[in-house]
Amino acid sequence: MKKSLFLVLVALFFIAGCSSSDDSNDTGGITDNFDRKALLTNIADNIVIPSYESFSTDISALKTATSTFITTTDAANLVVLRNAWIKAYTSWQSVSMFEIGKAEELSLRNFMNVYPVTVAEIETNITSGTYDFTSVTKQDEQGFGALDYLLNGLSGTDTGIVEFYTTNANAAGYKKYLSDLVNRMSDLTDQVLNDWKGSYRGTFISNSGSSATSSLDKLTNDFIFHYEKHLRAAKIGIPAGVFSGSPLDTTVEAFYKGDISKALFDANLNTLQDFFNGKHFGSTTTGESLKTYLDFLNTIKNGEDLSTLINNQFNTARTKASSLDDNFSSQVRTNNSLMTQTYDELQKNVVFLKVDMLSAMSIRVDFVDADGD
Amino acid sequence: MKIKNLLKIVCISGAFILGSCSSDDDSTTEVAAPPTYVFERNNESSVSFGGQTTRIAMAEEIVSKLKDNTSTEAILDAMFAHVEGANDFLDASLNASDKSVRSKTAASRDYFSDNATDAAAIKDKFDSWIKSQVDDVFPSWTTDASAGVAGVLQEAGGGSKRYVNAKGLELNQAFAKSLIGALMTDQALNNYLGTLVLDEASNVANNDNGVVAEGKPYTTMEHKWDEAYGYLYGASQDKTDPNKTIGQDDSFLNKYIGRVEGDSDFAGIAKEIFDAFKLGRAAIVAKRYDVRDAQAAIIREKISQVIAIRAVYYLQQGKNALEASTVDYASAFHDLSEGFGFVYSLQFTRKPQGNVPYLTRTEVQGLIDQLMGGTNGFWDVTPATLQSISETIASKFSFTVAQAGS
Repeated sequence: MKKSLFLVLVALFFIAGCSSSDDSNDTGGITDNFDRKALLTNIADNIVIPSYESFSTDISALKTATSTFITTTDAANLVVLRNAWIKAYTSWQSVSMFEIGKAEELSLRNFMNVYPVTVAEIETNITSGTYDFTSVTKQDEQGFGALDYLLNGLSGTDTGIVEFYTTNANAAGYKKYLSDLVNRMSDLTDQVLNDWKGSYRGTFISNSGSSATSSLDKLTNDFIFHYEKHLRAAKIGIPAGVFSGSPLDTTVEAFYKGDISKALFDANLNTLQDFFNGKHFGSTTTGESLKTYLDFLNTIKNGEDLSTLINNQFNTARTKASSLDDNFSSQVRTNNSLMTQTYDELQKNVVFLKVDMLSAMSIRVDFVDADGD
Repeated sequence: MKIKNLLKIVCISGAFILGSCSSDDDSTTEVAAPPTYVFERNNESSVSFGGQTTRIAMAEEIVSKLKDNTSTEAILDAMFAHVEGANDFLDASLNASDKSVRSKTAASRDYFSDNATDAAAIKDKFDSWIKSQVDDVFPSWTTDASAGVAGVLQEAGGGSKRYVNAKGLELNQAFAKSLIGALMTDQALNNYLGTLVLDEASNVANNDNGVVAEGKPYTTMEHKWDEAYGYLYGASQDKTDPNKTIGQDDSFLNKYIGRVEGDSDFAGIAKEIFDAFKLGRAAIVAKRYDVRDAQAAIIREKISQVIAIRAVYYLQQGKNALEASTVDYASAFHDLSEGFGFVYSLQFTRKPQGNVPYLTRTEVQGLIDQLMGGTNGFWDVTPATLQSISETIASKFSFTVAQAGS
């Protein structure tokens, strides 16, 4: 008798639990009074749009340098072009996490920055002269990684690289591929920036609810997804062999250039922390952000503000990474444990962000780990 | 829907507990399951399912070889229909074995002993997937696939390469996922857990009297039950306590029990299946065949659910991928190819009562026709069709498309 009473109580408890969780999923109602619209406005006007404007400027400069190199193909112009590529690549780190709106529709990040690229297929494209960059299957044959190969990987010396564009039997093919790559990147960038400056800014800000498809829920997921997959895993974890068991020194970002992988990592880490803090692009001013939202909710963990814990952890990871070699490829070959230690520090923030922060904000994780088969 | 189901479960479990309470008052002995799948006779383990472990290992090698484009049809056919001593596998112990995967494909007592026609047709289907992989897909290994053209598709982000036939189907996936139904599920649910096999000949009398199989530490009935168990847990790291690594031990039924267990809508299913196996085996030792058959019914229901949930899951993943603004065909077709195999496997599911699957072979063929029926197969299938197939499958079970789809 006692047993069945207990069962009934347990059943009631379960039913109560189920119905309340169903409600919060279905209605998508506002769960607190935080001004999400102010937050979205700050993100759009002071972070995303200025970041894309700056990136677009750097892509234009890359385009100009490409034209100059193609017209006057010499080692001096190769150096100019390479520097423009480095500047744009660094600038890319400040927009790559915003895979929302037009960028999401175009699948921008996968067309701009897949690495490692597949050299054999790039060479096949150059030989045949026919390729469709809009195909998803060609994502590892274009973008910053393909430029890395074309500007740094063709030969060990600048003179040797220039020869591919001058005396090589298919010099015209190399020039065409280079130019097509940059034009494609420029075109994609224009589409995304124009959309933000056109109708999307308004759409983004007015979608200020708290359903799974609201701007903040989506962008916060994009932020964490980028942190987990594209910063922690792609830039550090995969080269360090965290997922494969042994280091993979050819999988670092900008492998052929080599000595900028740390700078790209730092730029991206800073962007993500600045986004968390609502810091205006190119300024020290801050506005409404995930941090101010957490503080509004007064989220405490282990007796400390969660926002402080998150910022401290960003700083700890940065400090740990500061001892890494500029070239991550050589770092994993010489002392991989510094890489795995950096990974470990980055991983700690996954828990704060993905578990504690999302739970405080009642935001559901909208991505899962791939099936893996 | 969720609440209704839950109420149902609570009522049923309430009734079950009340039922067991009242049976306490009777003089019938209660069957207790041990904490792990350990059963002994004279201080020796009475559990044995080496043949199942062997066939799972053979199936792993076959599935892996299906992606080796230097392989030939003769090599693959010989692996599938292995004969003792033939040098078909990398693992020498498999070569020495007299077991074969093909002979146990669509070969259960309950479904196929009086249906040699379907059994042959199903074996032929597996043979035809091998042949087409070699004839149509291997020669196109470096061709870019498109509607009507076999070849390779690469997943987004420089991801995995998927090798598809002219209809977008990965034949290696069709083979592997269909085998989960035609071999593991069919043998476990429709052969070894059926009374035709468990109670065959003098099995009941021998089990009642503790008469073991000749030279063995187990009764034949015990062994048959263990052979069903082996199709789920035959490759487990700890075969006595397999849920510690459920989902990590093979590419077949074990793997997908693990996947379904990982979906919070179905968490607990792995334990329900394992508990039923333990209790059923203990019931055989206790000569309580009613309890044994009740556990077989639970296992049939749960394993059938696993197949159906994964079918719907992959169809929904494929649908989502096709609806994206930038379509990743490699990823979409990979999901649909896995879905294809799980849909095919539905014909081997088993309702807890009666000698019938949740979806008949004819119904499954109808779904496959919807899925692949367009001139160019997956290249033509619409999200609406995928939704409709998903709903048809879910309607035969106690879960929703939304629960299975995420």
